[in-house]
Amino acid sequence: MNCQEWEERIALYAAGDGGATDTGETERHIAGCAGCQVFWSAMKQSLEWLREAHQEEIAPARYAAVRARVMAQLESGRAPWWKQVWVCGLGIAAVAAVVVLIAVRPHAESPRAPMVMPAAVVASAADAGHGAGSRPGVDRRGALWAHLPHRPAETILVKLETDNPDVVIYWIAEKKGD
Amino acid sequence: MNVLALLAMAAPVESPGGGARSIAAARAGDLAAFESLMRQHERLVLVTAARLLGKLEDAQDASQEVFLRLYRNLGKIDAVENLPGWLYRVTVNVCHDITRKRPASVPVDELPELAATGADPQQSAARAERRRALQMSLRFLSEKERAAMVLRDLEGLSTAEVARALASSEATVRSQISKARIKVRAFMERYFRSQL
Repeated sequence: MNCQEWEERIALYAAGDGGATDTGETERHIAGCAGCQVFWSAMKQSLEWLREAHQEEIAPARYAAVRARVMAQLESGRAPWWKQVWVCGLGIAAVAAVVVLIAVRPHAESPRAPMVMPAAVVASAADAGHGAGSRPGVDRRGALWAHLPHRPAETILVKLETDNPDVVIYWIAEKKGD
Repeated sequence: MNVLALLAMAAPVESPGGGARSIAAARAGDLAAFESLMRQHERLVLVTAARLLGKLEDAQDASQEVFLRLYRNLGKIDAVENLPGWLYRVTVNVCHDITRKRPASVPVDELPELAATGADPQQSAARAERRRALQMSLRFLSEKERAAMVLRDLEGLSTAEVARALASSEATVRSQISKARIKVRAFMERYFRSQL
């Protein structure tokens, strides 16, 4: 092993990283080699200078600046209380709307529930029913249902995720026809 | 009076188990607890980043990113004892990201503030020059060699701890450290041929 090959071992030995076996061998080599003694001495010196050069402290204002930036970013990520209340309110309203829709939705198997229709549509459908000679006594809604073609309804569930992970809005709608 | 003033200025001392409490509270969304956690570990992060990047402004950016990642990953840190190792690992990774994104430079004029250590102006000038040369020598190391040397020789971590922080083997770290030391010594020899 020539002296160049010893350099890596001396570099480790200089800061106590030699390991038990290597340390003994390296010490013996350094003791008998003038060139490696110089190398070892210079290595120790440069390591000492390196540590000395990094002993300085960073000004406290630098730490405070980092802290302030991190806290500002974390706080900006949190929605203000009024926004949270608004999102919660919207969520509750949406849930209530879905519940109402489900309650008034007609089911294929069960007797048809009354359907909420715009007044103009209901009126025109009822007039058409009377004109075609429908049975007397059938109410306007019944007349409407009697004349509308029956299509199997396909239910679509839409999930809306809001900024607030605690509020998820589900929207149930019926897909009619193609 | 002075003693009282000093006591009032002193940073709050973390009681044993305080770190674990801070982590638990921060995990539950307590930002004050997270700030306290930052105070406990800010030196480790900022100084390591400054040593790796050589520029304080970049080191501050790196520290900010490290602490934001800490906040997002609080749930993954199972014990407070593992936090320093986690912080070293993430600091090294964030500094690597910053180095890759920004053009390579040798920022010799933007080093951390020097404390006034010597009264002799000649000595101070020599120390400042040495310091500049050492900073420059670190810039010429590979990312991994620099990280291994900073963690082992400046942060004082054991070879095993450095290996864990760099997700590497101890043998690889020892090789990186020895190569880095040889390169730094060679650089210093060239720079100060007359002094070494």
